[in-house]
Parts: sequence; structure tokens; C-alpha cells
Amino acid sequence: MDPLLYVFDLIVFIGIFSIVSLSLNLEFGFAGLANFGKVAFFLIGAYTYALLSQVGVPFYLCLIAGALISAIFGLVISLPALRLREDYLAIAILAFGEILRLIVKSEDWLAGGDWGVTVSPAVSLVGASHRVDALINIALVYLCLFICFLVVQLLTNSPYGRVVRAIREDEVAAEALGKDKSKYKAQALMLGSAMTGIAGGLYAQYLQCVLPGMFMPMITFTVWIMVLLGGPANNWGALLGACLVEIFDRGTNIAKDYLTLPIDPSNLQYILFGALIIVVLLYRPQGLLKETQVRTKAMEMVRRGRSAVRNKGS
Amino acid sequence: MINWAQVFFNSAITGSLYLIGAVGLTLTYGLSRFPNFAHAEFITLGAYIGYLVAEQLGLGLPSALVVAFSVTGIVGVLCYCGILQPLARGGASIIHLMVASIALGFIFRHSIGALWTWKPLYFTAAWSAFDIGPLRISGLWVGLIFAALVLSLAMHFLLMNTKIGKAIRASASNPELALASGINVDRVVWITWFIGAGLAAVAGIFRGADTQIWPMTGWDIILPIFAVAILGGIGNFYGSIVAAFIIGLAENIGVVGLIALGFSTTYRIGIAFLILIITLIVRPQGLAMLFRRA
Repeated sequence: MDPLLYVFDLIVFIGIFSIVSLSLNLEFGFAGLANFGKVAFFLIGAYTYALLSQVGVPFYLCLIAGALISAIFGLVISLPALRLREDYLAIAILAFGEILRLIVKSEDWLAGGDWGVTVSPAVSLVGASHRVDALINIALVYLCLFICFLVVQLLTNSPYGRVVRAIREDEVAAEALGKDKSKYKAQALMLGSAMTGIAGGLYAQYLQCVLPGMFMPMITFTVWIMVLLGGPANNWGALLGACLVEIFDRGTNIAKDYLTLPIDPSNLQYILFGALIIVVLLYRPQGLLKETQVRTKAMEMVRRGRSAVRNKGS
Repeated sequence: MINWAQVFFNSAITGSLYLIGAVGLTLTYGLSRFPNFAHAEFITLGAYIGYLVAEQLGLGLPSALVVAFSVTGIVGVLCYCGILQPLARGGASIIHLMVASIALGFIFRHSIGALWTWKPLYFTAAWSAFDIGPLRISGLWVGLIFAALVLSLAMHFLLMNTKIGKAIRASASNPELALASGINVDRVVWITWFIGAGLAAVAGIFRGADTQIWPMTGWDIILPIFAVAILGGIGNFYGSIVAAFIIGLAENIGVVGLIALGFSTTYRIGIAFLILIITLIVRPQGLAMLFRRA
């Protein structure tokens, strides 16, 4: 295989999963929601894209529709689910994802059942080589990633972000200050789902097919590893985590071809993933990049004041 | 023409399997206060150890059950002592504990995949099916229902009449008070994890003998088992007996309904998922109110 294409492929995957990782970071890192069903929203985005593009809807509308439908599902789920304890929420969303996968698997008329459907790529130039196609994909994915990152970064450093963090830290205190915790959590889940929906659409058009087998719960936990490794409540951490996990994933795939190991690398990969996440939770629960303080004018002044005092003192 | 006798018999089979699988989950969930997703892998591990003993070593099913129970039980205790308890002591949130248990599950599932490969394995012992009236019965199914009965009676005796059982109930309802009354809560928790993981292994062997064994054996049935634990009320053994048979009935009657309505029978497992979600939303305490005693 063309090595350059392999690198491009890796870059696209990092981009797509960075979006999912960012969205989980918003939900778990900032809002403290245990979304164990990320793959459900990923699936919704992917299947929406696939089904709409089949009837000739342009790709950007497919992506937006995927985001919207995913967001609606996020909202619908959040209405009853947010009253639940965090462990119940996790189990309920996990079951929701499995039900969705059962539906697309069983309903042949909807999206080909087990065999899935093929999806046409978002942009296809006549006579373009694979490399050019990959570059177009990179541009598209990173444009979406950039927009998502900007939105999340601005949002989490805004008063909104502070409220969400406050609710995560202490629901009762935040409610005592008049913040409606369910509303904020529902919004976080909705926005997170919308972003995951976009990522799902990008994934579908990049791989040019959707199959129920692509949406195993494993995807959810890979994204959890990304967020926990990179650093919850730190958007750069989410990106870093996505990069590391994807590179590691590819690394073991390459190792499969060049090394003879006593165990099958695809098994070894997940054993190492599991061990890694336990080590991270035991020894560095804040992840590689720590949560940063919110930057506000008042905080800046306090910091400047302090350093001024320190300068005077010396 | 629907053979209702068979539907009810099948419900008893399904319910028995889920009950044996769910006891450990519900007790450890109640005591340690987090859902252990690695319970799925205890089931799988039990099935493989059972296969190793019964088929690869040729020692037969009874010894397979005993060995799988003990080994998986010890593995369960080690997981708890080695990883989950230190995490909980270090102040990990419930979300972190859930993720850690999933990570543990990954390690087990793929270690099993590496040891035995991902190809499905089958117990070779043939279970001759025979007919009693309209019922189709096999020795395995009778054994499974018998095992669930024995388990229910044994657990009832353990929880109600023995010191350790009372200690388990005390520690689940109020760990501080139990500690203050001189109960060694840590030991109680370890024993519960041992029994729970061991029973998961028994469920794994029955499931494996009934269908097939592969590294996802446990994960395939973990959500129905969660449904049983939650519908029964977390930590509530008597609740889970009722819940297991409710879900067994729902699945088997549901299949009849699915066929009648022209849906695919792959939705069978989805029925349990649906019950799980509805219970969580409508009545997260499950049937616990009906069985206050445990």
C-alpha cells in the first residue's frame, strides 16, 4: 500500500475521532455525564448521511441533518435520563446504543441490514487519484474539527462553561444559585450528540459504507480512553488523546505485519488499552493535560496583582 | 398454533440463566456501589475454564463447574482487591470505576481471545432432547433449572441463616454501621465478590453448553443481566429471582409476539434492553420495595 496514503488515512481517522473525543469531553469532562453510548449518536450520524446521500442530498446538508437528528435523539434521551444517577444514565445509554444497532441490523429495508449500504464520497473529482481524494477528505474533516473545536473551546471558556463545571462539581450548590442543572446537562448532551453526528457522517462518507458491525460498543470505549488519557475537561487533551490512541492503534496494526509476537497484535492492542486506562485512572486520573482554570478578566487581574506584589517584594 | 407450555418452559430456562448470572452482579453492585462491567468477562472466563476442564482435560461437566466456580471466584476477588478497591479508596468517582471495570473486561476478553482464539468452541457432550407431552426437554435445560433452584435455596439459607449472610446484608445497607458493629466489611466484600464471580462462571458454562463459547459470550448477555439486577432492585437477591423470570417470560413471549407481528427475532435481546431502560427511567429502585427484607 502507498505509504503516503496510509499516513493520510491515519490523519483522517485522527480528525474524525478528535471530533467524537471533543464531544465526549464536553459531556463527560465538563458536564460530568457518563455517556456510555457515544456509538449510538455516531451511528445516527453515519446512517443519516448514508440514507440521505442515497437520495441525492448534497453532502453538507447530509452532515447537518446527521447533526440535527443526532441532537434531537440526544435531547429525547436526556429528558428522562438526566434525572437518573450517573451509573443508571450510563447503563441506559449503553442499552440505547445496542437497541439502535439491533434495529439497523434487523431492518433490511432501512439500510441493508447486516450488509449495510454503500455511501458515495462527499466530494469526488473526476479522474482524481487516491491521494487527492484523501487530501480532500483531510480538508473536509479538519474543517469540521476546527469548527467543533472553536465552538467547544469558546463555550467552555464562557460563563456557560463555568456553570456547567459548577454543576459537575456540586449540583446542589449550583442549583442554589438558580442554575437549572437539567437544562444545562441536556444542552451539553445535545451539542455533544450533534458533534458526534457530524463525525459519524464524515466516517460514513470516508469509508464509503455503513455496516452495523462498524458501530460496536468498542467505539464508545475507545473514545473514553482518548478522553481519559488526554485529560478530561481539557479540549487540547481530548485532541491529544485522540492522536495518541489512533497512532497506537495503527502502530499495532503495522506491528502485525512486521513482527511475530507470541500473541495476536489485535488482541494485544486491546489488552494494552485496558491496562493503559487502569494505569491512567490509578496514577493520573486527571489525564496527560490537566484541566485549566477558566480565563476571566477577574482571574487575570488577580494573577497580575499577585505577580506585581511579588515583583515589588523582590 | 403456539405451544404455550414450551414458551413457559423456555422462559424458565432463560430466567434461570439470567438469575445465576445476575446474583453476583446485583450483590457486588449493592455492596461496592458501582456496576461491575467486567462481570461479563467473569461469565466468559467461566465458560472457557469449564471448556478447559470438561473438554480439553476430559474431566466432565460436574468438575468443570466446581473448578470454574473456584478459579473465577478467585479472579474476581483479585480484580477487586488489586484494582477496583484501590481505585475506590483513592477517591475515584463511580464513572471512573465503571470505566475501570470495562477496561478490566477488555483485558480479560482479549486475553481469552489470545489464549483460545476467537473461533467459537462447543461443548461436545450431546444433550439428548426428549419429549414429555408437548414439551421438548434436554438434560442440560433441566440441569440449568435445577441449578437455579439450588442456588436460590442456598442463597436464601446463606443470606438469612448464616453469620456471613447477615454480614453481607448489613454491609450492603449501611457499611459504616456494619463496621462499627465489628463486622469486617472488607472480608464480607471479598467473599461476595468470590461468590458473585463464581456464580457468573456457572452461568457461563450453562450458556456455553447451550449455545457456543467465544470471547463475547459474557458481553452478549450482560445487558439482560443488568436488566435483571436493576429490575430486581440493586443488591436485592429476592428481587432478582422475580426479575429474572419476568425478563425470561418477556423475552420468550416477546419472541412469539415478534413473529406474529412480522418482526425479526433478532430483536429478542432488545426486549430486555427495553425493560432495562424503562425500569431505569420509571422505577430505578426496581422491585426492591416488594422485598424489603434483603
